[in-house]
Amino acid sequence: MTSAVDKAALAKRPVMPRTARILGFAALALALGVAMPWLVSSKLTLSLTTQAIVDALLATSVGFLVLQNGRVSFGQAAFFGLGGYAFGVLVARQLVAPEVAFLLALALPTLVAFLLGLVFARIAGVAHAMLTLAVGQAFYEIAFRWRELAKGDDGMSFELPQRIFGFASSSLQDPAVMVVVAWSALVLALAGLALFVNSRIGQIAAAVRDNEERARFIGHDTAIPPAIVYAIAAFLAALAGLLQATYNGYIAPQMFHWSLSGTALIMAVVGGAQFIVGPAIGAVCFFFLKDFAGRFAEFWPAIVGTVLVAVTLLMPQGMVGLAFRLWAARRSKP
Amino acid sequence: MSKTMMTGLALAAALSAAGAARAADPLKIGVATDLSGTYASLGDEVMRATRFAVDEANAAGGVDGRKVEFKSYDTEAKPDLARRQVEKLVMEGYPVVTGMIASGEGLAIAPLMERWGSIYISVVNKADELTGANCAKRVFRVNTQSAMDAATVKPWLKERKEKKWAVVAIDIAWGRGSATLFSEAVKSTGKEMVAELFPPANTNDFAPYIEQIKKAGAEGVWVVLAGRDAINFAQQSKQFGLTDAITVAGVSFTTDGTVKTLGDAAKGVFGIINYSSTLDTPENNSFVKAWTEKYKVPPTNFEGEAYLGYQVLFQAVKDAKSVKTDDIAKALPGKAYDTIMGKLVMRAEDRQLLKPNYFGVVEMVNGELRPVVKTTVSAADVAPAVACKVN
Repeated sequence: MTSAVDKAALAKRPVMPRTARILGFAALALALGVAMPWLVSSKLTLSLTTQAIVDALLATSVGFLVLQNGRVSFGQAAFFGLGGYAFGVLVARQLVAPEVAFLLALALPTLVAFLLGLVFARIAGVAHAMLTLAVGQAFYEIAFRWRELAKGDDGMSFELPQRIFGFASSSLQDPAVMVVVAWSALVLALAGLALFVNSRIGQIAAAVRDNEERARFIGHDTAIPPAIVYAIAAFLAALAGLLQATYNGYIAPQMFHWSLSGTALIMAVVGGAQFIVGPAIGAVCFFFLKDFAGRFAEFWPAIVGTVLVAVTLLMPQGMVGLAFRLWAARRSKP
Repeated sequence: MSKTMMTGLALAAALSAAGAARAADPLKIGVATDLSGTYASLGDEVMRATRFAVDEANAAGGVDGRKVEFKSYDTEAKPDLARRQVEKLVMEGYPVVTGMIASGEGLAIAPLMERWGSIYISVVNKADELTGANCAKRVFRVNTQSAMDAATVKPWLKERKEKKWAVVAIDIAWGRGSATLFSEAVKSTGKEMVAELFPPANTNDFAPYIEQIKKAGAEGVWVVLAGRDAINFAQQSKQFGLTDAITVAGVSFTTDGTVKTLGDAAKGVFGIINYSSTLDTPENNSFVKAWTEKYKVPPTNFEGEAYLGYQVLFQAVKDAKSVKTDDIAKALPGKAYDTIMGKLVMRAEDRQLLKPNYFGVVEMVNGELRPVVKTTVSAADVAPAVACKVN
């Protein structure tokens, strides 16, 4: 039935095939995710994959700012931490129902980012990088110094309530379940971003990115669409933080730290920030490279560093960019 | 020897080896410790004790005939990283976990032991919560907790003439807890607290803190810093004349490890001693002798406590006749263990090993500076009240 609708739409409007293709890919990826616990038996692999997917969400968040707003953020971990802390603190103190905490953990960072975005979008270059860094570190310092909030540097363990949204919450700490939840969140996020880029607001944001003055001149609002991009990016980071806090039952100030923002940015660039899926692919590759190197040598950061230098030099458009180039080269051959 | 006979022998050897492996699974220990962070020097001590204990056990034919294996990962003394590394160790088949330094690390992983089917034996974490308010099933502690250190310092404090005291403590669970206990001891002995300062981990510049201690008019300062922080603070407090002006004392501050680096800056500093190689018991003497043969220097405070952990673990495995964590967890509590510090009991209620504690001062001995035991307090006298409600 859906394919009939798609075909009818396809005849009328040229935009639809892209939408249909995105949804088709997403459905396929979701199905693959649900099958993952049956395909992979090792709990360790499932748990590592879960953590890699959380990283992928965060990298997607950073990458999307680069792609859609042309802004490099060094403070995206602030929203990651905010999502995790909002949930952890509210649940640990039993201030609100866990479902409300869940929603607040997503809504609060999104709103904060939207408001900050109204200002940040007007600032470019190094100043923007410094500003995001400062805001991110301000959040870190609060979590670090304010011991009464969540035990400062030690971090805080908290117990999930028995049930959340009607599901047994202990299953959310089982890698076989969480890997499917996290994967589904990532797939839906990527599909959502792909649809957003094509939307009217997405295209205005892109226009502002390319030439703000011209976009304003032809009568577009140049403040709100970029701020919405900030909000969406923060939503993804908060989602990642929320998933991590739920899975671990633990929050720590390192969730806010600029080094996490920096790592996410590296992942995004390595994967290819010009593409929506680039950062996610970069994050997963980076995560497993780090894990692999860490198992064999104590000087793993050197190995990871060397690989990063090589990737940056050899693939200026990231891994996805290289893949596209290779694919195009093969097709052009007779 | 004929070729067939060789093959036959090899086959027999292989078969018997396989048979032994089936009969006794190895004891696999996951050591998650700080190899590159603030407490890297303490992590190094834990690793040396681990290698010593494991080699010694394997040379003696294993624990109850079981080979002992270990694997270690770096936690950088960061609780969130420790959590990931411990999960990895457990999932890679090393479910007996030990070695973490910062109390926050232990507190971060303690509630997960049941979920992961692993056990945790603390050998360095001092925060009372670990076996107190936040105690958890399958979590054990063989090292001295802060409450035991406080009980040790109190009699000393009573005798001292200094009326005004300050505390400099690391801003983590251990520092906060130890500072609170010390302030209570100060007040209960009729003295006054004039400053409580909490620098974060990895502080390089202690000048502002030293300045505040001076300004507050403290006559004595209690230092709750370890590793790199302890060395930085001790050197700067010597440079700024604090060490010579007022009484300096602390916990994990001037240990065998830091005194070596500090030299004169550590001289005359008082401190808690949890283990000393100079304890004159037959068990300790033979341990110190074997250790010195291997490493050329006597074991330090933390090396002794970490080794103690392996002694307790190995005896529990022998009693359990199993390396399954369920069996070890059942065998561990409520029992007396033969250790380098005498016969010690792992209390069943909170799974804390009750051990004696010491107080001393850094002095010149045979041309070498080292912490020297001046007062010994028995295990019964420092035993903390049971605060754990999980059994």
